Amino acid sequence: MTHTFVVIDDHEAVLGGTVAALNMEYPEAKIVTASTAKEALEQVAGTKPDGVVMDLSIPFTPQDAAQTETGIELLRTLMNTYPTLNIVVQSAHVRSLVRVKPLIDLHEGGLTIADKSLPLKEMLKKVDWALQGLIYIPREMKTGLEVKPEWLNVLTLAFQQGLQDKAIAQEMNISERTVRHYWTKVQDALEVYPEAGKNIRIQTELSAREKGLID
Amino acid sequence: MEIGRRWYLKSLPGFLSIGVVVIARLTGVLQSMEWDALDAGLRWRSPEPTDDRIVIVGIDETDIQTLGTYPIPDGVIAQLLQRLQSYNPRAIGLDLVRDIPVDPGHESLVQAFQTMPNVIGGISVVPDDIGGVILPPPSLPPEQIGFVDAMLDDDGHQRRSLLGSVDLAGDYRFSMAIQLAQIYLQSHNIALENGVRDPVAMRFGPAELPVLQPNTGGYVGVDAKGNQTLINFRSGPVPFHMISLHDVLNDQVDPDWLHDNIVLIGVTAKSAKDYAQSAVISSSKPDLVFGVEIHAHTLSQILSTALDGRSLLRTWPDPWEYAWIIAWGLIGIAISQWIQRPSIHFLVAGCMVLSLVAMCYVSLMVGWWLPIVPALIGLTVNSIVLHSLYLYNRSVQSRIRDRQLVIEQTFTAIHNGPLQTLAQVLRELEEPNVSHIKLHQDLTHLNQELRGVYDAIQKDAEQDNRLHLQGEAALDLTAPLHEILYEVYNDTLNRNFPHFAKIQAKIIKFEPFAEQGLTPEHKRNLCRFLEEALCNVGKHAVGARRLSVDCRYDGHRNMIQVIDNGNGNRETVGSSSSALSSSQSSGKRGTQQARQIATQLGGTFERSPHAPKGTCCTLSWHPKRSIWTLIFRFVPTAWLNSAS
Repeated sequence: MTHTFVVIDDHEAVLGGTVAALNMEYPEAKIVTASTAKEALEQVAGTKPDGVVMDLSIPFTPQDAAQTETGIELLRTLMNTYPTLNIVVQSAHVRSLVRVKPLIDLHEGGLTIADKSLPLKEMLKKVDWALQGLIYIPREMKTGLEVKPEWLNVLTLAFQQGLQDKAIAQEMNISERTVRHYWTKVQDALEVYPEAGKNIRIQTELSAREKGLID
Repeated sequence: MEIGRRWYLKSLPGFLSIGVVVIARLTGVLQSMEWDALDAGLRWRSPEPTDDRIVIVGIDETDIQTLGTYPIPDGVIAQLLQRLQSYNPRAIGLDLVRDIPVDPGHESLVQAFQTMPNVIGGISVVPDDIGGVILPPPSLPPEQIGFVDAMLDDDGHQRRSLLGSVDLAGDYRFSMAIQLAQIYLQSHNIALENGVRDPVAMRFGPAELPVLQPNTGGYVGVDAKGNQTLINFRSGPVPFHMISLHDVLNDQVDPDWLHDNIVLIGVTAKSAKDYAQSAVISSSKPDLVFGVEIHAHTLSQILSTALDGRSLLRTWPDPWEYAWIIAWGLIGIAISQWIQRPSIHFLVAGCMVLSLVAMCYVSLMVGWWLPIVPALIGLTVNSIVLHSLYLYNRSVQSRIRDRQLVIEQTFTAIHNGPLQTLAQVLRELEEPNVSHIKLHQDLTHLNQELRGVYDAIQKDAEQDNRLHLQGEAALDLTAPLHEILYEVYNDTLNRNFPHFAKIQAKIIKFEPFAEQGLTPEHKRNLCRFLEEALCNVGKHAVGARRLSVDCRYDGHRNMIQVIDNGNGNRETVGSSSSALSSSQSSGKRGTQQARQIATQLGGTFERSPHAPKGTCCTLSWHPKRSIWTLIFRFVPTAWLNSAS
């Protein structure tokens, strides 16, 4: 399957590195780059990418200075305009993303946050997760285990009443897609991520029981 | 209903001014202003064409000088009548006093009267200062007599006309205008009948002449005896054709003007003093109008209403008029209450004044005399004068509030920061094995916090739209509320409170609020509220495993709710230990803060036990509504309050 990426970074070198890594991982992929928020919005609107890899500290136009604020605004706009877009946010200072966490909790696409100081391999893993529609929010942005009431509801219906996603969707009066989406949210909250050879639903149940989310 | 009551109290001066205007009108203080407004309104109407049904023959200064005698001898009048009859007019009204013979030529006038059934002679029925009236010429039969009395208002102006009255002998008499109208309209098969809407009124076909009451329109306690009606003067530079006595005697007249029309004969010489004032017809001072002209206007309005559908001058019943006046006063109050920005306020107030004037003017054009003066006073006083007072009052209050705010902010900063740490230290001291190192750490932290208070307040004061939390973050209060609250939540939970550690799961929901009407100051207080509520959980919720924080608009109300399932509840746990008594006093402070913000937003604050265990703390409020919803919600409340 060919992917389309929009990669946003104002540093030529970093941009080059990211693009090279993505090319290695996804040789077929079409990769478009942008160095400002303005350009990024145009590229995303034009190419309808599967994934966006964005730096947080970017300028709005080439004349502006690079600011975290601009990156946060771009993220906000992207999440509002494309609710199902898969996004990877790279940042050296993830704490500043706390304020958009309520918005992230509402986002329906994959969204992972990668610390810029981590090796490229980590970044690629985050890209892979985002493309799978998963959520990854680093621990620094959380105050421990945080869940929304509706996610908790999914856990209860699944593990206490043994319902399948379809039945849960009917019970909660939402779409099955949303249920699957809640799963990814709650998995991130429980810090259960895909691991080879492990069933993620069972991992989720174990973790939820251990942490007292379900009895 | 806190807002409703304050709204009502703030509007009290407005209601007062409406009351004063109503009383002023009832007592007649505004009467002369209303007259002037009516005159001006009628004067500014677009001109009407000349009414060629009526011709005035004026005996002017030249005629009197030519004849060299006054009163005009009967012989000249007889000659005039005969000459006029040769043009076949439909009727002739003689607005001259002929109760005693003025020789020479009296005999010829008697003869003329006896042979001319279309001549109406003038009398007066209203006694003058010495109780005298003018009797009819002896030779005229009673049906050829009409009275020519003028009804003057206190300012000497004539605005109403007496149509029918009982004379001293007890006989009911009609005015000359009514008599002439009867003759003229006979040929159109329209007879004088009783009114349909008001049986007392006189009516010619469709033209029912409204009967003047003591308080009609702007009048207050006017002498409305007999059957009077308002005169809707004919506008325009030449309302009627006018010729002079010598024009007629010298045959210098257009026969078409006279043929089949009504001729009114009267004196138009100033020296004869048969005039009244009217600011409607004449705008120059002195605004004199000859008696014969007034009769022409009265007659003309009857004929043109009966035949052309021209409008008469009508007024609303008193209750309507006062409802109208009060309504404009209320509009004034509404404008000054709800439009805070001076520029927009004055624009809106100006537009309302203009539309009031326009409405009254247009109404007058179609014949309705509306009370413009009291409505205008009520509107301008309430919207402009009161608004200026409010502005002044607001600026004084805002200065007081600013000072109060600094005090509050300072205390809140101390309360939500160092005092919490202090309470924790005191609590630790209760425990048997106090660790000195831990104590030292806490006190150092307390020291830092106390020093930080000044900086935080300073920064808050400098940057009005920012809130400084314990952590390094400064929040932008213009951002969406749920996002700021999330940051407050995040920051507070990272603080070092004993009961946060055991919490396993946080069930949180931060979703957009309905933010209309929320100021940065409100948001600051809401943030402080959440901070305080979470601090309480950290300090008092012993053994809490779960924390629910729900911040959002649920489609109905905005809500901030914090629920824990710990054992502690400082409202119910009673203890005389120093730690608890100190935290109880701070608890009171926290509750007070919460109540304050609830009042500010017109919402409610509630702290209650949560089943099976724990505490639930909820602040909720309705989003601010539009101005119309407010009117519908609070005007009835205000009325109820004023009634009870």
